[in-house]
Amino acid sequence: MRRIAIYGKGGIGKSTVSSNVSDALAEKGSRVLQIGCDPKADSTRLLMEGKAPATILDRVRNGSMTLSGSVHDTGRGVFCVECGGPKPGTGCAGRGIIAAFSHLEALDIIGNFRPDIIIYDVLGDVVCGGFAMPIRNGYARNVFVVTSGEMMSLYAADNIRQAVDGFAGDGYAEFSGLIQNSRGIDLENETVDKAAEEMGTEVMFRLPRDGEVQRSEAAGRTVIRNAPDSEMAKNYRNLAEEMLRRSEDSAGGMRLEKNINEGK
Amino acid sequence: MYTLRDMDVDVIVVHGPSGCGFMASRSLEQAGVRVVTSAMSETDLIFGGSDRLVETLRTSYEMFRPRSVAVVGTCASMIIGEDMEASIKRAGLDCNVFPVESHGCMGDNTQGAIKALEAGRDAGMISAEETERQIGLLKAATAMERVSGLTSKSYLKPAQGATKLRVCRKICETLSSGGKVAVVMNAKKELAYRFSDIFIAVDEARRKLGGSTFFVSNTDIEKGLPRIRKYSEDIMCQLKEKNIMVDAVVGGLDEYAVIGEKMRVEVDRYSPDLTVIVGICHAYPGIGENDILITDQPRQLSNYLNEGFTNSVGEISSHSMVMGTQRIIPMETSETLRELVRGL
Repeated sequence: MRRIAIYGKGGIGKSTVSSNVSDALAEKGSRVLQIGCDPKADSTRLLMEGKAPATILDRVRNGSMTLSGSVHDTGRGVFCVECGGPKPGTGCAGRGIIAAFSHLEALDIIGNFRPDIIIYDVLGDVVCGGFAMPIRNGYARNVFVVTSGEMMSLYAADNIRQAVDGFAGDGYAEFSGLIQNSRGIDLENETVDKAAEEMGTEVMFRLPRDGEVQRSEAAGRTVIRNAPDSEMAKNYRNLAEEMLRRSEDSAGGMRLEKNINEGK
Repeated sequence: MYTLRDMDVDVIVVHGPSGCGFMASRSLEQAGVRVVTSAMSETDLIFGGSDRLVETLRTSYEMFRPRSVAVVGTCASMIIGEDMEASIKRAGLDCNVFPVESHGCMGDNTQGAIKALEAGRDAGMISAEETERQIGLLKAATAMERVSGLTSKSYLKPAQGATKLRVCRKICETLSSGGKVAVVMNAKKELAYRFSDIFIAVDEARRKLGGSTFFVSNTDIEKGLPRIRKYSEDIMCQLKEKNIMVDAVVGGLDEYAVIGEKMRVEVDRYSPDLTVIVGICHAYPGIGENDILITDQPRQLSNYLNEGFTNSVGEISSHSMVMGTQRIIPMETSETLRELVRGL
């Protein structure tokens, strides 16, 4: 099983990239579990094609937490989960991510859905311990960061790299490269390459700017489903292949460390 | 929360997990303060606990009909930035309700007490003047603990603790040989209800064995908040019933950190052969190796022993005994002394 986390600055296109990669992987016969880790609960909207799943935390809150009710099966090999969280300005969204994960584990989401790949799509920057959860405790093994050539986006990427490196000593996830989601700014490739070098990583894939993304988005579907023969769909498929190639395949439950320890 | 009790707040609502502060809550209940909790769950932590707090406030009001309610923050509620003031407004209770924005990560434990005092002042529970006085005393107490803490000494003499029998024998021997015994009680608030028992026992010993005694205590009934003054009144009155005179009253029960020097002056004037210090002993300057120290704190006891004060004894768990009492409570050292005296 691959355990992949996708981070990046807010609005950079993490959810669009994640969803297209999920659909691309499912297309080739994989079972993919995409877990949205953002209180806005909008990670899987393109995969859900108009339906909105009840979030884990809403279900926990009203006492109706069941696995079948919280995991939406698209019927094409992609399973969608939204952690959800508090309304802006109240409570603690980071703690929400931690709690949502422990509920998913308690209900044995892996044993029940047997995914080949888990993709954690995580809100913006790493703002506190809760949002670092996918990187820690053996959840994700490989972290990819979506960035454009804009400085703010690169700063965010570097923050995430620092967080991942900070946990490296504990045997947690590794930083597996930048995904350039091009905005079409001047010297974008050069800027991202330079930043990658300074971060000690590399640009593992460049997604071009393509009108198909917005058109599919407006249709409420992924490019893979909306325009399967488009150039952009091919790009997402290649990106998915490259991510698979660069990520660790390991057996076990949702938390890798835990299973290793239990096996001893 | 103890500070809020001192201000005579009727109900304390702890906004946090149900286990937060429960030990303190139980003994405060014994002292007549109603302590309830909003019992935040993990869901409240994630989504915010303001509904839970409003509900707790309304229930508490129905249950106790208090004149004053303080809402105290905890680590959990303060980390997620709960707006307790807004919840208080929403609850709309017809009494004096005010928030205390304290939590466990503010540094010295007196910081929380200072927050409580300031909140009490803003809510009209205590005067600005008394608030300033109390804050000064708390700061002095914090400084004193730092100076006389374990880490302040470069040399720690190996020491063994004294038994209560041994220190009581010293008192008896001094009195029997016609010597002078000074007893200094520098008690922290309600602990005076237990420590003042030493006066009763030593007085009995003097009547039986001879010698002379000199009693100093910080039971000034003119100092501190009404509740604290009441403690002093109770104790002075009960000592008087037993015909026991305190020779010098120095300061109030909340002034333990700042009155050591004055107590010392009184004792020096008497020039005793033996000095017994009970309560916050390390506030008393120039403690001698022969002095008898009585503390309720186990850590303070080992501190005293390490400093070479071998005649130190502990009256452990005194605090839980005095919560809610209005009477002087027998102390083990006093009971030992009584047994010795009566058996002689």
